[in-house]
Amino acid sequence: MTWTDEELVARSIGGDANSFNELILRWERPIYALAYRTIGREEDARDVCQETFLRAFRALPGFRGQAKFSSWLYRIALNLCRDWIRRERRTPVVQTPEDVDLMDLAAAAAPSESVEDLVARKDLARSVERAMARLPEEQRTAIVLKEYHGLTFQEIADLVGCPLSTVKTRLYQGLTVLRRELVKNANAPRALKS
Amino acid sequence: MTDTVCGYSGDRDEALIAYLYDDEDTARRAEFETHLAICWRCRDEVDALRGVRRQLARWSPPSFAVASHQPPVASHQSPATSHRTWWREIPAWAQVAAALLVLGVSAGVANLDVRYDRNGLSVRTGWSKPSTESAIAATGAAPGVGPAMPTPWRADLTALERQLRSEIRAVPASVATASHATAPARATPANDAEILRRVRALLDESEKRQQRELALRVGEVLRDVDAVRQADLRKIDRSLNGVQNSLGVEVLKQRESLNMLMRVSQRQ
Repeated sequence: MTWTDEELVARSIGGDANSFNELILRWERPIYALAYRTIGREEDARDVCQETFLRAFRALPGFRGQAKFSSWLYRIALNLCRDWIRRERRTPVVQTPEDVDLMDLAAAAAPSESVEDLVARKDLARSVERAMARLPEEQRTAIVLKEYHGLTFQEIADLVGCPLSTVKTRLYQGLTVLRRELVKNANAPRALKS
Repeated sequence: MTDTVCGYSGDRDEALIAYLYDDEDTARRAEFETHLAICWRCRDEVDALRGVRRQLARWSPPSFAVASHQPPVASHQSPATSHRTWWREIPAWAQVAAALLVLGVSAGVANLDVRYDRNGLSVRTGWSKPSTESAIAATGAAPGVGPAMPTPWRADLTALERQLRSEIRAVPASVATASHATAPARATPANDAEILRRVRALLDESEKRQQRELALRVGEVLRDVDAVRQADLRKIDRSLNGVQNSLGVEVLKQRESLNMLMRVSQRQ
């Protein structure tokens, strides 16, 4: 039988450790992905992910269910990401291409993918990552929540605590900046070659 | 090129984003689609932003399983195993602190005794002490044999240890006898008072034993320090004697050479 998040929360509050474990298994990947896309560092994203669940576990008895459990979890994670950005006083880091291990690259290749395709895919991903890192935190958060987590405009507005129209504006501005940056990145290698 | 400026009546940017993500009601969607049919600028922008979204879809974070060095945990696993998925990712400083704590507690439990004296560094535990002591007691029949010279306090300690062991053996027996004897009338206040008195007596005895042991240990440390000091003094004395002897030889040689020089000069 599959329990809903809210049922698992109720069981966890009742002392069932397995239920909280189930919630972790269900949400650790999305929370890690959110943290990684927001702060751009693998290690720190993992720390944020762990800290999110620790805080959620501690605060669980106070969770009244006014919001969805996932929204509550997202809010904790976003606050932690915001703290991280303020503490580090910098924009998200793009991990350098030098970090790429050829063995990892080979392992990441889909069976039908050629090496050229794989490298192109990695380049594009890195280019997106770099462009995302240039966005202001609010725009980046809005894009990450909408694009990768499929939240509605209203859910994002509730989560980040701003009006609905502001969310749409942030998304529009963010996507426009990304469009410009991606075009610039795509032209950069050509400019170097010529 | 008739409409270089978009003539959309509402908030164009918001409408465009809502259309792009299909997050609006059907009436508004239909309205914006009507506008798109006549506005090439908005059409172009929607296409371009769709392209950006396609590119965004290519960006995935590093694999969580690989990143955290852990396989996905099956739901049928035990809670303890499953909890490890995130509990075990404790920061290094916390692991070090925990290790130190465990080490400290272990050392305390093991009654660790680290000593550096003239015999060099020695580490032993309180629990392994009886066997060491009994070995010494066994070799004590032939004093002066072996590297560990028997000392008076060792005999005291052995005696104390024997006494403690016999007392410890005697306590459970007496408690058992007392509990058997008082079993039928367990609830009476007189028995409670008796048990209380016995417990107090045991506590007093234990306290006295601890004081005796402390006094012995202090005495042992003082004797050790004194022995090391004496040995060091002897060593210094020997070294001084050596220096004096070599100096004396040198002085004698000097005197002989001076005498010889005097004799030679007088002849001339």
